[in-house]
Amino acid sequence: MAKYILQRIIKGILSAVCVVVLIMILVYSLMERSVIFAGDSNYSKTQSNARITYEQTRYEAFGYVDYVNYSEYINELIKRGELDEESRKDAAFVAATPEQDSETAAAYIEKFTQEYEAGGYTVVRLDADKKTNGRVKDGGQATIFATRDKPIISRVISYFTGIFFIDNIHYVDESTDIGKRGLTFTLHDPLYGGEKFSPAIIGNGTKHKYLLYFDNKFPWIHQNLLTLNLGESYTVNRGVDVFETMTASQGSYVLSTVSYPTGHVEQSADDLHTATYAEGSLALSDMYAGRFVDDYTHTITHKNSMSKMGYSFVIGIISTILAYALGLPIGILMARFKNGLLDRIGTVYIIFIIAVPSLAYIFLFKAIGGSIFKLPTLFDMDSGNKLMFVLPIISLALPSVANLMKWMRRYMIDQMNSDYVKFARSGGLSETEIFTKHIWKNAAIPIVHGIPGSILFAMTGAIITERVYSVPGAGNLLTQAINKYDNGVIVGVTLFYALLTVVSILLGDILMSSVDPRISFTSKGR
Amino acid sequence: MYEELKNKTGLKTEELFSPVAHSDTESERIAAPRYSYWKSVLRVFFRNKINIVILCFLLFVIAFAYIYPAVTEYDPYANLMDTTGKHLSPGGAIEHFGFNLKWILGSGASGEPTFDAVWNGARISISLALVCAAINMVIGVLLGAVWGFSKKVDMVMMEVYNIIANVPMILIISVLSMLFSPTFWTMVFALTIVGWLGIAYFIRTQVLIIRDREYNLASRCLGTSTFKIALKNILPFMTSIIVTLLATELPSYISYEVFLAYIGMGMSDMSLGRLIYSAEAAMVTPGWELEFWSPVAIVSIITIVLYVVGQNLGDASDPRTHM
Repeated sequence: MAKYILQRIIKGILSAVCVVVLIMILVYSLMERSVIFAGDSNYSKTQSNARITYEQTRYEAFGYVDYVNYSEYINELIKRGELDEESRKDAAFVAATPEQDSETAAAYIEKFTQEYEAGGYTVVRLDADKKTNGRVKDGGQATIFATRDKPIISRVISYFTGIFFIDNIHYVDESTDIGKRGLTFTLHDPLYGGEKFSPAIIGNGTKHKYLLYFDNKFPWIHQNLLTLNLGESYTVNRGVDVFETMTASQGSYVLSTVSYPTGHVEQSADDLHTATYAEGSLALSDMYAGRFVDDYTHTITHKNSMSKMGYSFVIGIISTILAYALGLPIGILMARFKNGLLDRIGTVYIIFIIAVPSLAYIFLFKAIGGSIFKLPTLFDMDSGNKLMFVLPIISLALPSVANLMKWMRRYMIDQMNSDYVKFARSGGLSETEIFTKHIWKNAAIPIVHGIPGSILFAMTGAIITERVYSVPGAGNLLTQAINKYDNGVIVGVTLFYALLTVVSILLGDILMSSVDPRISFTSKGR
Repeated sequence: MYEELKNKTGLKTEELFSPVAHSDTESERIAAPRYSYWKSVLRVFFRNKINIVILCFLLFVIAFAYIYPAVTEYDPYANLMDTTGKHLSPGGAIEHFGFNLKWILGSGASGEPTFDAVWNGARISISLALVCAAINMVIGVLLGAVWGFSKKVDMVMMEVYNIIANVPMILIISVLSMLFSPTFWTMVFALTIVGWLGIAYFIRTQVLIIRDREYNLASRCLGTSTFKIALKNILPFMTSIIVTLLATELPSYISYEVFLAYIGMGMSDMSLGRLIYSAEAAMVTPGWELEFWSPVAIVSIITIVLYVVGQNLGDASDPRTHM
């Protein structure tokens, strides 16, 4: 059994990898790149050579290409100490045409070209764009850059190697002086004043300052040693990982008394345990300087409402429970009294839900719920009114109830003609006994298979329901990402969905085999 | 008894029994009533009087969706400059424009008759569903049959299915509508490029169930070719399954188009989905509700009728109901 499950997991991961490759090909190769400029106001403002370089920087920001500007290269050389400040001006100046370059500049440009062309880049030199009177146009300065499309294989490899990030003391660039690197274990977390007993691991040189800590939030113990990077957002939520977008709390800030490392005490929503490293941030901002003592300044804030995934999950899980609690008994009763009144009404309901577009009945129930039952039809995070959950939950439960009714009735009726039922009947058992003790147990086996899936997919949210009721859930993450060409999020969300599918099918199989001893996945059992 | 009969009729023994001429064709004839599959399907289908009513209604709706826009001229922007002709209730529209069939549902955001807009949309949506269903069903059923029969194909296709089924459909559609313009045929292409896979998978499972039954085994032992088994032994079994599948597929394309239009990824033609999407704000505006509910009602009617007719036809095409 263990070997079989391992096999299935490996197979599942392989197909998830294939899905990611396919998505990357779709997103990065097939999709027209220039569409990202459609809603970009900066793009229409720039012109001439500046527009071409702007295009390239944006492509780099969206993850399409690797792009290096000549001036960046010169800065890099200075940083490495291969070029001194005096000759910098000479070397960095790109003349209007190659013939007019100074000797030093020509030499460095030659070096730049050779270095990057060897790395598979295309080096482009844009000569100065001049007006008829000989003056350089706005944005028409001569420039040199190297660019290359990120090859799909290296993109895939770097994506998968980057999924799990293990925090280490070498995270911060080695050339940066941040004092002694290392991990310290303390029994008294300095954030609680250094006296209360609360173990924590604090790092220097790591990405997160607190690698392990306790607080008063579920699940009380938190770690940052191993973090998940599904894909970084380029546009929607810039620089933030998909997983964090889904799990970060929303709403308005919750203020509490926070004492900062400098001793400054203030009403703030900052959660200092979540501090991450942001290079040079301390020196840049007076605000940080008054509060922090090191570059670990980037914190997540406390907010009063659930995360996107949280809302989706609460609504999804309640509607799933509701669906099973209603759908299964009704399905059984429909089969028990076949062609009776309940069966007929139930069939009409099933036909209605299957045939009518979901949009239509969701709107219908929204209109009914809003006008007749006076339920809130729009979601408002700050109101705290629990009634606003009612309509989304009902809307989400409607199709699942119909689906479960349909299959439960089908499986029950299929079982009703089996020999073992006829035998039980001839043995003198009552119909109720046959239904509850014999048929139900056999008919429920295929239903069991779907349970893990419906629980896991409650997390992903429902696109239409959340949109109609303006629920701040995770359902619109993918559509939003597609509309804003947020390629990192598209890949991340798809991988997340693919993994959920793999896991839920596997769990369904395991659950089914544990419910029904006749089902065995090992060849020995057969 | 023989004596009695002889005395009563006064006939000789030879005349009571007359020899019958031997006929080869007669002796080969099977005495059971002639059975024609499709005649039986229709007989069972029309035995239920409700089916006749629904079928007539379906034909009427489809015919109306194709004939009405063809015989009337519909220009959504004809009344664009008429500032008082927008968002009118049926009564107001008839009063404003004079009585005409097209004003019985009022007028829309640019003064267009809602009735015309809905039927034009219905024509586009039904066409989309018919074209997509035709393409997907043909490819899906044929490939599904091969998939079910060949173990080698099964091994490859299962992996392909596991991967493709995990790629979100909206992503494929949005990529395609970005590659090409979001026209009717782009939408058809997007819905059919992977849409057949689900149908093929369903058919594959059904073929697997029937393939190894005893009667097929017996047939194979007698030397029947695989092709003949597929055609004569399995296809008749599959007919009702295919018809039932078609009954769920056809309305599902209409629903899916509505869904896509609602999340802003629909086609550029004014289909029912686009109508619902663009009239969403009208739902909550008092007096404008008809603009929103008319396309919703029409799309629901079309999908329900298609589904019910298809399901009942599927039931009727199951030979076990032909008793």
